[in-house]
Amino acid sequence: MKFRRSAPLILISAIALVVVVASIVSSLLFTNMISSVEEKQFSLMHSIVAFNLKSAEDRALARAAMVANLPRARALFAAQDRAGLLAEYSKMFTEQKDKYGVDQAQFHSLPATSFLRLNAPEDFGDDLTRFRPIVVAVNRDQISRKGFAVARSGPAIFGVVPMFDPQEKHIGSFEVGISFDDVLDNLKNAYNIEMAVFIDEASLREFAKGIDPAIFSDQNRVGKFIRFHSTNGAIFQSLVSDKDLNTTENTQYTREALGLTYGIVLVPLRNGAGDVLGMVAATSDFSASRSSRGRAFVWQALIALFSIVLLAGVALVVIRGTLLRPLEVITSRFATLSTGDRSAEIPETEIMCEELKKLAQQYEELRTANQKETE
Amino acid sequence: MRIFSAFFLLFVGQIAAAQSQPISTAQPARSQRVEAQAEAKPSTQDLTSLPLGKGLPVMVRVGLFFQSVMAFADSEGTFTGTVDMRLRWEDPRLRYPAETTPRGFQEYRGPSADQKLKEVWVPGVAFSNLKESPSYQTTSLRIFPNGWVEVMQRTTGRFAITIDAGAFPFDKQTLGVEVTVRRETTGEASLVVLQEDIDFSRAAQELSIDGWTPGLVNVKRYTQPGWYGETHSGLTVGLTVARNSGNVVAPVFIPLLASLLIPLVAIWMNSTEDGEFTIDAFELANVIVGGLFAVIALNFTINAVYSPVATGDNTVTRLFGLNYLTLGLSLAIVVLLYRYNVPMRLFGRYVQEQLFSYLSWAVPLLALGTALALILVAAT
Repeated sequence: MKFRRSAPLILISAIALVVVVASIVSSLLFTNMISSVEEKQFSLMHSIVAFNLKSAEDRALARAAMVANLPRARALFAAQDRAGLLAEYSKMFTEQKDKYGVDQAQFHSLPATSFLRLNAPEDFGDDLTRFRPIVVAVNRDQISRKGFAVARSGPAIFGVVPMFDPQEKHIGSFEVGISFDDVLDNLKNAYNIEMAVFIDEASLREFAKGIDPAIFSDQNRVGKFIRFHSTNGAIFQSLVSDKDLNTTENTQYTREALGLTYGIVLVPLRNGAGDVLGMVAATSDFSASRSSRGRAFVWQALIALFSIVLLAGVALVVIRGTLLRPLEVITSRFATLSTGDRSAEIPETEIMCEELKKLAQQYEELRTANQKETE
Repeated sequence: MRIFSAFFLLFVGQIAAAQSQPISTAQPARSQRVEAQAEAKPSTQDLTSLPLGKGLPVMVRVGLFFQSVMAFADSEGTFTGTVDMRLRWEDPRLRYPAETTPRGFQEYRGPSADQKLKEVWVPGVAFSNLKESPSYQTTSLRIFPNGWVEVMQRTTGRFAITIDAGAFPFDKQTLGVEVTVRRETTGEASLVVLQEDIDFSRAAQELSIDGWTPGLVNVKRYTQPGWYGETHSGLTVGLTVARNSGNVVAPVFIPLLASLLIPLVAIWMNSTEDGEFTIDAFELANVIVGGLFAVIALNFTINAVYSPVATGDNTVTRLFGLNYLTLGLSLAIVVLLYRYNVPMRLFGRYVQEQLFSYLSWAVPLLALGTALALILVAAT
């Protein structure tokens, strides 16, 4: 083993190992911190979506309850006066649609037959039993309910309230449906979160007879789902695939698209029977946290490089400069002395370390003693 | 006494009325417009007042299409382009029998559109970041039987944008068009973007910008503060563009990295014999001073060509900083080590010899490592 090479090598290797391990640990800690920030962002997105869907349900239910309890509405419905109901509430519905995102409003006769759709007055008399479990449940239990459904006029968030005649006899129900467009657009405007709603194509084709057939385009088709509404179609084309939608639970993941990293949250939409008929997707730009992770890694690597190089410098200069080089010079002087040449002095012995200073003094004594003997 | 009291009350009432007068006139024109409309009769109604038939605020739907971008001067923070703005709102006063228009709408273009727009209410929408008067602007107006009004406006002009050169040359910029309702408050007219408007708001397929790659169009709403605590509705429709960094890397980064080698050469050029330096420090200091002038000249050149990177914190300013720092460090080495042999005086010739040997590889390694890190940080 040659100390000149091995000692610095061992020391520098040890320094490098410690610094690299410390940097990796620090990098992992930072990555965990970023991940926890992203987790919180995901959690916030989940909460925002869930809260707003629930708020939409509440708004729908509140509106339905107000109309259902109006004496005039109860009297007209009890009298089965379709034209009267339409005349009374058509303007109200139009304004609600224009201003507040109300998409559908419908009176149901018992057990679950459409009596009047304010959004499509000419379309009535159809049986809703098969695809509107909420309506069936409300008319069975005479208790208000709310939730998502694919209705004849399209998917919406419904509030359904039982209706009674002036003598408090149960006569049917009334519902208000809030459109996804309104909810998602408001979310985008408020939180700058891109939103989309995907609805099961089979359900749409079977139940939503009144929607625009153009929605069933290849551009909107994602596996068995149709992208019914989105605040940014181009982003969702890259971010949500049919495999991602093949879930029945709240899901979250990150994905690269158009040079940015996005966090995506999927929230299943269940009908009254608990079947998943659609999925709400929310996505937010995560590139800030991702790039700060990348930047932190680069800075940590640079700090590690500086640490290794500076500590290696200290080790090299101290070992070689104060120990090995002077020792090398002393050794060479002894070698010269052994050949009988006593002329060579060891320079700068006064700034050598104590141990080498003694050795240098020994050399000097030996050299001068030999010199005297010769004389 | 009663008469006196009555006069006194009348007097107080007059003073109160006189004092309240300026307050009421100081109110914005909104209330006046509202009153005028409320009293209007169909035959004589003022169609230029706010349409109240659907309540307030009037929801004005906005879509903006980027037809072309002729020039993007990131150095000036402007882009010149042609955009189509589409505004839609409902004014029930303008309803008319559908059978009177075979096309399904009344259409006005050019001067007739300008004339018609003076006769109906139009939201006071303006491009708030338009630098000067547009070089071209034309408007068309469609009025549908159900009272929906659609204004389409094609504008060619120079728009001011904010440039963030922090990640130069791997940066992305947003070519934003700011649409603001200047006259009406958010309580009177509000800009909204619905699905159809989002679909409309995009860039033309054939749109290309020299040195940049166009991306998505994004819409962000905002409110602008007005008088008396009121706000005005606005939104920014922004086309994201990514710089083609390949075009910039060679002319900017190669000179910057090459200039970094000058101070390193000054360190490398020396050598030691038994702990003593062989080259005169003066000659090496000359190399560094020459390097300093080279970096200053490069700094001026790059700032002149890429002015957005002249100020602020970005990769180029950081690399210049590294250049100056390395020059300073090299000068310190030349003066302290080569000229005055400070390490030799303090710790002996062998420490100086080893220190020189160490610095000759450590300084270049750290300088180039830092340069690489600065570029990587910008790229991530």
